[in-house]
Amino acid sequence: MSTLASGLRVAHPHSIEEAIAARAQNPGSRFLGGGTDLIVNMRRQIDTPNALIDLSRVDEMAEIVAKGDILRIGAGVTIASLAGDASIAPYKAVVQAAEGIAGPGHRNMATVGGNLCQDTRCIYYNQSEWWRSANSFCLKHRGDTCHVAPQGQRCHAAYSGDLAPALLVFNPEIDIAAPKGCRRMPLADLFVEDGRAHLSLTEGELVVAVRLPAAPPPSAYAKVRVRGAIDFPLAGVAVALTSSGGKVGSLRIALTGTNSRPFLLADTDRFAGRAVDDKLLQEIDRLVQKQVQPMRTTTASSNYRRVAAAALARRLVAQLAGQGAA
Amino acid sequence: MTSEPIVDAKLAQRRVPLIDGIDKVTGRARYTVDLDHADALVGRILRSPVSHGNIVRLDVSKARALEGVIAIVTGDDCPYTYGVLPVAMNEYPMARGRVRYRGEPIAAVAAIDADTAEQALALIEIEIEKLPAYYISEDARAPDAVLLHDNKPGNIEREVHHEFGDWQAALAQADLVREEKISCAEINHAQIEPHACLAEYDPLTERLLMQSVSQVTYYLHLMLSRCLAMDESRIRIIKPFVGGGFGARVEVLNFEIITALLARAAAGKVLMALTREETFLTHRARPQTDVTVKIGMKRGGKITACTCEVVQRGGAYAGYGIVTILYAGSLLQGLYDIPTLRYDGYRVYANLPPCGAMRGHGAVNTRHAFECLLDRMARELGLDPFEVRRANLLKPPLFTLNGLMVNSYGLPECLDKIEQASGWKERIGKMPPGKGLGMACSHYVSGAAKPIHWTGEPHAVVNVRLDFDGGITALTGAADIGQGSSTMVAIAVAETLGISLDRVRVVAADSAVTPKDNGAYSSRITYMVGNAAIDAAQKMKTILTEAAARKLEARPEDIEAIGEVFRVSGGGEQSSLPFHEVAKAALVDRGAITVSGTFTTPVEAQGGKHKGGAVGSTMGFSYGAQVVEVSVDDATGQVTVDKVWVALDCGHAINALAVEGQIEGSVWMGMGQAMSEETRYLDGLPAHASLLEYRVPTIVESPPIKVFIVESHDPNGPFGAKEASEGALASFAPALVNAIANAIGIDLDEIPVTPDRVMQALIDRRRQARLAQSVRAAS
Repeated sequence: MSTLASGLRVAHPHSIEEAIAARAQNPGSRFLGGGTDLIVNMRRQIDTPNALIDLSRVDEMAEIVAKGDILRIGAGVTIASLAGDASIAPYKAVVQAAEGIAGPGHRNMATVGGNLCQDTRCIYYNQSEWWRSANSFCLKHRGDTCHVAPQGQRCHAAYSGDLAPALLVFNPEIDIAAPKGCRRMPLADLFVEDGRAHLSLTEGELVVAVRLPAAPPPSAYAKVRVRGAIDFPLAGVAVALTSSGGKVGSLRIALTGTNSRPFLLADTDRFAGRAVDDKLLQEIDRLVQKQVQPMRTTTASSNYRRVAAAALARRLVAQLAGQGAA
Repeated sequence: MTSEPIVDAKLAQRRVPLIDGIDKVTGRARYTVDLDHADALVGRILRSPVSHGNIVRLDVSKARALEGVIAIVTGDDCPYTYGVLPVAMNEYPMARGRVRYRGEPIAAVAAIDADTAEQALALIEIEIEKLPAYYISEDARAPDAVLLHDNKPGNIEREVHHEFGDWQAALAQADLVREEKISCAEINHAQIEPHACLAEYDPLTERLLMQSVSQVTYYLHLMLSRCLAMDESRIRIIKPFVGGGFGARVEVLNFEIITALLARAAAGKVLMALTREETFLTHRARPQTDVTVKIGMKRGGKITACTCEVVQRGGAYAGYGIVTILYAGSLLQGLYDIPTLRYDGYRVYANLPPCGAMRGHGAVNTRHAFECLLDRMARELGLDPFEVRRANLLKPPLFTLNGLMVNSYGLPECLDKIEQASGWKERIGKMPPGKGLGMACSHYVSGAAKPIHWTGEPHAVVNVRLDFDGGITALTGAADIGQGSSTMVAIAVAETLGISLDRVRVVAADSAVTPKDNGAYSSRITYMVGNAAIDAAQKMKTILTEAAARKLEARPEDIEAIGEVFRVSGGGEQSSLPFHEVAKAALVDRGAITVSGTFTTPVEAQGGKHKGGAVGSTMGFSYGAQVVEVSVDDATGQVTVDKVWVALDCGHAINALAVEGQIEGSVWMGMGQAMSEETRYLDGLPAHASLLEYRVPTIVESPPIKVFIVESHDPNGPFGAKEASEGALASFAPALVNAIANAIGIDLDEIPVTPDRVMQALIDRRRQARLAQSVRAAS
């Protein structure tokens, strides 16, 4: 354990076991990946851990290993290494998502685990202490009103990670280390539709790896944002599509930026066996517009995020079908 | 005119790196927060949490009692207003009695460290009785609105009504009259260095040393004297390296005065380093603007009349407001021949951080609206955008209707250059779907011809020194804020003296040693300080030439100085002297030499006689034109700038490398305003106050920019030069919007053209098409 000039204590474990122990010994501490999300939030005093558990020396979390029919990505792998790793290349959506995250500096620091577990975002939340205090704080932090939907009971802060949807279309599992031992569950179950508590992890748990099934289907990821770098997605869409003889085999669509969690679009099974034509694309458009729930958490309008998410889904499906995604 | 015009057609363009470039890229350059502040106290400001209200109670006693707190100041400690125009200073460094925007300073603390200062702020007790707050011009102007300032009815800071010629008759004679209302969002300079200053007060000598990020140290000097009631001679201002200004630091800023007050109260040294959020809150940038412009045009494209109404949401205090609303009207002229004109301007108060000067001050949003309308009318008349502009060119030398002097005019050549380079004639109308070309023109002043503080002194003074070491030192009060003005001074001196550039050292912006200068604003330095530098260098050259003549036993008029050698014209090796020997000869009997050069504008350059007629007046306008090529994704509303061709008439490029950099910077900053930059407030709280949410374009958005320098050789400019840093900015946004119209057939009436705005316009068009269809179906 070292102490920073600011007085903050930092533990530097070398194994997952040590990391879990350090976390358990320090109630109120947080795991630190690349820090590109957490440190910014700490500076704004919206996250106030009393100690940090630095994961950068846990080598076993920084590996990508292919074993049998599973590709296991350590949660400590940086976004830049992920994007450049040959074994990830077949998972095109993941590569595209990783390449588009923030800027080069962020990608060199940020990790897979940190990106998956990043905090939800809102224009009423990602502000300075002075700002939030002048606005009587908010439901997500220290306040009792959600300024986005003052009548409601929940926080609508939006999940904005790029990797999650790109991974979700491959049905991965994640390994979680915890004081009580390890557990494994589908990645989709990590996320909860609640901006204030969007992760299903319990106290002291740590995502240590993502397990991707081998032989991935053709896939793609795209997002909209105001600038072509740095900005978080206003809406991001991943699609995985298998087809044969011009007909849809399986179609999976996952979204980010529109809700408090990344999610797989429900009800895409019904497209199996259909030809990818204008009618199908229109149905996909409608399905996306129906299931996304963008709220006024960004300066861009929520309607834009809805419409753009649908447009991206159409485009990616058409693109993959056009590539003869067989 | 105090300096002889210099037009030397043989003068070669130089391309030299900035003389302070090495310091910057090696990290040696010391910016304000890099200065030695080991023994300085930490300053922090308490800011208003409400938009509008009366301060009922302010109690700093608990904060004062905190250990480690050395000084606290509030509005009570400074009963003097500060500001820009002597007639419109209505702002206190810290609020007195009333707060008018969220973020307005109320009190400040100097403590032994940052934690203590923060704790002290939290201990200050404040009670504010809220008043209604207004965030849009229309609400602030409503008849029943509470006044922000009791002496400003209707919450109008200034109305301007100017009429030139019989515009009504001219509109009647037009073949086509069209009107558009175009809105431009408020934006910010977003200079990369956050605000900071270091103030040191010595209670024994009662002297104040202020080092700050100022663009105009002279204004800072005046306002510190005013607000601290100190004799000017007891104040010294130094400008360290500054990381950008763009107008943010032209006017004196509240934190500078507050820090000086703290330093005096603490009898010591105080460092004030604002956060990025506070830097945004300090603001003083381009206001949200609604422009309603009407043009009357003949079938061939000739403009007969223009009427224009501009409403600027200026924020809570006057600042530069009057100047901005005057610029917005006056610079309708000076670019094209507009034979009749009516202008109505309204500068409105609102409960938001005060706006101020920003690159292209006042002119940009009006120019945007005008150039968009020009294109739309050209389209309606079946005219090419270039042709409609060529139909309205000026024929200088002349004075415009509103009294602006135009002597040099490179706009026709700018148009030719970008038309050819972009392949306009071959490509326009033949672009694939979703791709388009657009163009527009712009101009800007090379320094305001009439200074704000009229003292009768020259506009610029430069001193040039020579001592035993043979070094030439140029002393100027002009602030180099990254634009390269010190390099320009060095080149002007070296060129005039015929010596190498590295013999010249420039000392800038230290009131103890450099002559007063009106500073870095309105693109005045190259024209005014450049001329003053040449004037000083010529005086030094006369002294050196006489010394060389004495040594060489020749007549001074036969001496020429080239490449650090003074020789008798047509003479041989033995009739020449190297520079250091001439310098030694010049110092005999008199010792170190200092000469002073000046520049003053003649009265005829200072604008029309009507009220406010001085604003917009200048010795010479730069002229710019650009073509922008775009791709528009109609599924996501995303716009990509594929390429830009830009030409700028800067008279003469004293340093072509720096000029190109400034033109690219103008395009890039124009692109930010046009595409993504925007300040937005949520009930008066900034939603944009970080470099994540305030979307300055990244390198990903930056297109290839092809720059063309056009040289019209202004008869009065230094070596024929005019300004080069602002003129190209205003044509980007209209060229982009015109290109989008060309690409997807939609005229956008709002900037920035963010994807959601473009998408909304596409949705609206589809809805209108459906409505039109159903109407047809029903009839």
